[in-house]
Amino acid sequence: MRWRRTVFACLVLALTPFPAASEEAVVSVRDAWVRETPPGMTMMAGYMALRNNTSRPQVLVAASSSGFETVMIHRTIVKDGMAGMAHESQIELTPNASLIFAPGGYHLMLMSPKRTLRAGDSVAINLKFRGGLVLAVAFEVRK
Amino acid sequence: MNRISLKLSIMMTSVALAAMLAGVWIAASDRENESRAMLLPDRVMTLFPDPKPLTAFALTDHQNRVFDLSRLKGKWSFLFFGFTHCPDVCPTTLAELARARDNIAKNTPGAEDIQFVFISVDPNRDTAGKLRQYVTYFHTTFLGVTGNDAQIAKLAGQLDAAYQVAFTPGMENYPVYHTTTVFLVDPRARYHAIFTPPLDAETIGRRFKVLRELEGAKAT
Repeated sequence: MRWRRTVFACLVLALTPFPAASEEAVVSVRDAWVRETPPGMTMMAGYMALRNNTSRPQVLVAASSSGFETVMIHRTIVKDGMAGMAHESQIELTPNASLIFAPGGYHLMLMSPKRTLRAGDSVAINLKFRGGLVLAVAFEVRK
Repeated sequence: MNRISLKLSIMMTSVALAAMLAGVWIAASDRENESRAMLLPDRVMTLFPDPKPLTAFALTDHQNRVFDLSRLKGKWSFLFFGFTHCPDVCPTTLAELARARDNIAKNTPGAEDIQFVFISVDPNRDTAGKLRQYVTYFHTTFLGVTGNDAQIAKLAGQLDAAYQVAFTPGMENYPVYHTTTVFLVDPRARYHAIFTPPLDAETIGRRFKVLRELEGAKAT
């Protein structure tokens, strides 16, 4: 009789959803940071390393934050010897692969911060994926 | 038995000799490669064998002083074109150039004859006051300069520095496109070299040190 109870307990455990843990596992974010800007400047950029831990593509569709007036997904592109910015409406993450947001490439464009952000501060940005997954990521402000 | 050991020792000796020779040869070709790398274009710095003298231009710096051809004389100048509303490329480049400047100051004797100049191609938004706040944040010695479209074009044209301002009246965040190259002008105001991204401070410092030594030797 005792083993039955144990099996039941295990089943309950296995079936209990852990939303936070399972969401974390779909896409993980490392090294999220925002570059500190000179005083009075309103344009900032956020960088991070995303990893799709599933065997299906995951699609980043938007980013938002209560810390900024606007957040957009951008990519620096070089055309005709000039760098410019392209707005990306979505970015597909390859299964079981990483995608790096880094200077000179993909970045979150953060416009008009609501308060002055200085190196050492932290600002939360939500990353929205197709299918409803939302990750709240703490970005560290660095010089 | 004896013959075998003799053969073996001859073989060992020749192997050792060959290894030594190979070592010497590798060391020599390394030196040769290194000296060639100093002179030939590489992915970081491209040197122009026949530096082009720049001609007159007139811009205004962040202290409202005239920034013209004379301000490039007697100093090595690192020039970068951009705009202060640029969230990615400009802060990344200026932060790296600030590190490069410190690197040069530390490792190159007599490095006070250098200046770093940020040229805004967006005079509509980048006033002298704004430029001062912006450039001095990255390094207290950095200069911010700008001018009207024709004045900017006068210098940019001589360096083949590409830029385009898609100014739209009433639009707050109009796009600006600009080259990511860093231009190096020598103390005789000649267009001498370029640095192309990805830029890193240590490499810029090292390359600049070699170039300065070469130029210094030529002058004497």
